[in-house]
Amino acid sequence: MDERQAPATVPALSASNVTVRFGGLVALADVAIEVPPGTIVGLVGPNGAGKSTLFGVLSGLLRPASGRVFISGRDVTGSSPQSRARLGLARTFQQPELFMGLTVRDHLVLGHRVRYEHRRLWSDLVDFRALFPPTALETEQVEALLELLGLTEIADTPAAILPLGLARLVEVGRAMATRPSVVLLDEPLSGLDIRATERLTAVFERVVSNSSDGLSLLMVEHDVASVLALSSKIFVLDFGHLIAQGTPSEIRADTAVRAAYLGDEDVTAEGTAAPAHTTTDRPTPDGVSPSGPPRHE
Amino acid sequence: MLQYVIAGLVLGGIYAIAASGLVVTYRSAGILNFAFGTLAYAIARFYYYLNTQEHWSIVPAAVLSILVLGPALGVGLYFALFRRLRLARPLTKIVATVGISVAIPPATTLIFGNQTILSAPGLAPQPVRVFNFMGVAVTMDQIIVYCCVVAIVVVGALVLHYTDVGLRVRAMVDSPAMTSLSATNPESVSLGVWAVSTGLAGLTGVLAAPIIGLDPGDFTLLMVSAFAAVVAARLRSLPVAVVVGLFMGIARNLVQYIFSNSSTISADIIPAIPFIVTAIFLIYFMIRGTGVDESERVGGALDRAILPQGDVPTGGSLGRPASPLGWKPPFLAFALLCLLPLFLKGFWVGLIGQGICLGIVFLSFTLVTGEGGMIWLCQATFAGIGGIAAAQLASMHGWPVLASVVVGGLIALPFGVLIGVLTIRLGNLYVALVTLTFGLLFDNLVFTQQTFANSGIGVNVTLPSFATSPRAFAYLALGVFAILSLLIVNLRRSTAGLALNAVRWSAAGSKTMGISVLQMKVLVAALAAFVAGIGGAMYALSLGTALPSNYSTLGGLVWLAVLVTLGIRSNVAALIAGLSTTLLAGIALVYLPSAFAQVTPILFGLGAIQVAKFPNGIMTENARQVLWAWGKVRSVSRSKRSPDAGPPVVVGGELS
Repeated sequence: MDERQAPATVPALSASNVTVRFGGLVALADVAIEVPPGTIVGLVGPNGAGKSTLFGVLSGLLRPASGRVFISGRDVTGSSPQSRARLGLARTFQQPELFMGLTVRDHLVLGHRVRYEHRRLWSDLVDFRALFPPTALETEQVEALLELLGLTEIADTPAAILPLGLARLVEVGRAMATRPSVVLLDEPLSGLDIRATERLTAVFERVVSNSSDGLSLLMVEHDVASVLALSSKIFVLDFGHLIAQGTPSEIRADTAVRAAYLGDEDVTAEGTAAPAHTTTDRPTPDGVSPSGPPRHE
Repeated sequence: MLQYVIAGLVLGGIYAIAASGLVVTYRSAGILNFAFGTLAYAIARFYYYLNTQEHWSIVPAAVLSILVLGPALGVGLYFALFRRLRLARPLTKIVATVGISVAIPPATTLIFGNQTILSAPGLAPQPVRVFNFMGVAVTMDQIIVYCCVVAIVVVGALVLHYTDVGLRVRAMVDSPAMTSLSATNPESVSLGVWAVSTGLAGLTGVLAAPIIGLDPGDFTLLMVSAFAAVVAARLRSLPVAVVVGLFMGIARNLVQYIFSNSSTISADIIPAIPFIVTAIFLIYFMIRGTGVDESERVGGALDRAILPQGDVPTGGSLGRPASPLGWKPPFLAFALLCLLPLFLKGFWVGLIGQGICLGIVFLSFTLVTGEGGMIWLCQATFAGIGGIAAAQLASMHGWPVLASVVVGGLIALPFGVLIGVLTIRLGNLYVALVTLTFGLLFDNLVFTQQTFANSGIGVNVTLPSFATSPRAFAYLALGVFAILSLLIVNLRRSTAGLALNAVRWSAAGSKTMGISVLQMKVLVAALAAFVAGIGGAMYALSLGTALPSNYSTLGGLVWLAVLVTLGIRSNVAALIAGLSTTLLAGIALVYLPSAFAQVTPILFGLGAIQVAKFPNGIMTENARQVLWAWGKVRSVSRSKRSPDAGPPVVVGGELS
């Protein structure tokens, strides 16, 4: 049996009581989060809220001071990032971490082989299999993924010359090639224009709905409007504390969330947010920036 | 004991000045100047020429050497080379400065002659006055060193912290890009820094010459201590560099005090001091969790956006290297090189055999640096381990020669694994410094043992019975080269090759997709050490002896320079680099007057400097130009056939 399969009631990814300290600074305080299978979950919060730190903890790149992390019910708190990847966790990065010496196709092929043919990391060296054409399964799955993400035309382009939007898509593709159960998406829409944003959000919806294995996405994003539109559940962090969780409509109505985004004074003055008078540039939970519509750099 | 401490402070002071020069140039120009020692030597040699040979008095000779020639060299090198390096990849920066360090000593010999200088003057008038300080004799030369250290630290701190120039330099450290946007010309700041830094090199050289003599090798060894101080300073802290430099000078003399000057224990411990200091500080940094990756703290966000993250991708797919012409031209080139032994005779066939063996050693650079992206400067040491081990097994224990060669490679392998594991968390420059120090430690501590050095003649090793003629041996070497090349080609195309490429570009990205960075780096380190060991053993066979001095770490720097000049990721470039090294030396020996014997290393050095212009190597660059010309020819012939055909499309700087 595939070690990554678990009963449907078990969250694909969960963390409990996670605390991270950097010297005297508490970056995360007793945070708990849960990602059910087959869903898109949002993680929002202002800059410095601890979102990327939580991603670091979940993916194994950061060790928490306390707390536990589970993948499909299995405790992976002490596991390395590569062990977690083999258990079905994949991620993208705020600044795309592509392999500049490889083409788009190479990224997906590597992801596929790491997942399906891990032994080839060593066996290729002695059986010279790499000098022969790839297997039909590999070709079929990689081509299907390229097609799904709309990357077929640039499959043989070096990653080094890709624009940001395509680089983010390749990162998603690389993550998908490992056939994960959960993908952590770290600000996947930042720096993208409206067209690229629409394209990528459509891809996210498609990969989740097309997945037969109950693929889940956990997305950190400043474009709150997109998060509200995509997610079935949202967690809100502020200064390392989990201040709210719920459905998009619950989050929209949450006073603490509005306060975190707009400042206490503006919320308490009228009992609701006062977007026009804030001095911060944080977008509101409605996705509307105090100084105008959401910006796409 | 006080006498030892005071004398140690002199040597430590020289280390401190050298370390200061390195830190200042690294902080402001982003380049760790591996040529600092040879620049110091060249300027000190010029001072000797003026003062001793031309009988100039001290002041004008010192002014012309330290305050005129030093800065002028810095300015000249800046315009010729350093200004191109700011945005270059780490390997290019290292190799370009190594190129200078390779070219300068023979150029100096060419200009001033190759006489052995046993005693060089310092800045103190002759005869040197001696003072009595607390019962200890202190010479005027020593007092001048103390004064120079104090002056450099005080003036350096004052200029950096309280002047407009210092403000601009510090701004350059934080963000060169933002500095230029603030109406400060980074070029003029860099120019000034290089002039000051080379002046400091001159001062180091003139001060050090009376103590260590005037030999380029000794100056390079002096730099090893300075490099250790620079590592302790995490490449940036001037006060720490000075303090650690002084400490190492004192430590060196205290060892002599404790174990006596002539004891073998002193002789063993003293060369190890820089390595021990480097290791202690690196372990300390890791335990504290402070980064040991120089790229972590370079510039601001804008700088990171415009700085390259490594070498320039040259295309290729499924791990294939930069070979814009495909596999046929390299294969054809290899086939043509295979014909060489048939058309040459005697002496030249022997040189070809040696060149091919060096080509095998160069394949280890192709693996560890070209494929693994790790800048290791101790491949010559691994070659030496393989060569010496094979010779010992074959000659002393009666093993079959070829089995000894293979076992020699296997004995080198764990050393590669050890270095790979030890340097896994270090940035490129730290790796380069650690491996350089390791290599020099091995040169001075292990290879000098009588069992290996055999009174300077090495251990003889005989050729296998089926390859006793130079031509047969050349083909045996070619066979070994071909097998190892095939293994490397397979590695590049394999899943491990893809994973290696992935690890090279993004450790975090690799880990989160299930690849072990440690495993990949150790794999390539082990393979590279094994190949170097095999190459070293074959080289010993080609020479008939395993002589430790043939595998010196400094010689290995020349090898790296030659290979990077031609192409660090190409197997054929490794073969041509090996053949060039031996054949050019042979041509110089046979056809050029003895005065021009230094031309070959100068050419190698100048070639390495060209890396700044062609980072992927001359062969790759030429291949691109051939490809471009071929594309032009094809497009013209197409347009003749089809008048509507457009010009060739350029994608990402390459013809598609």
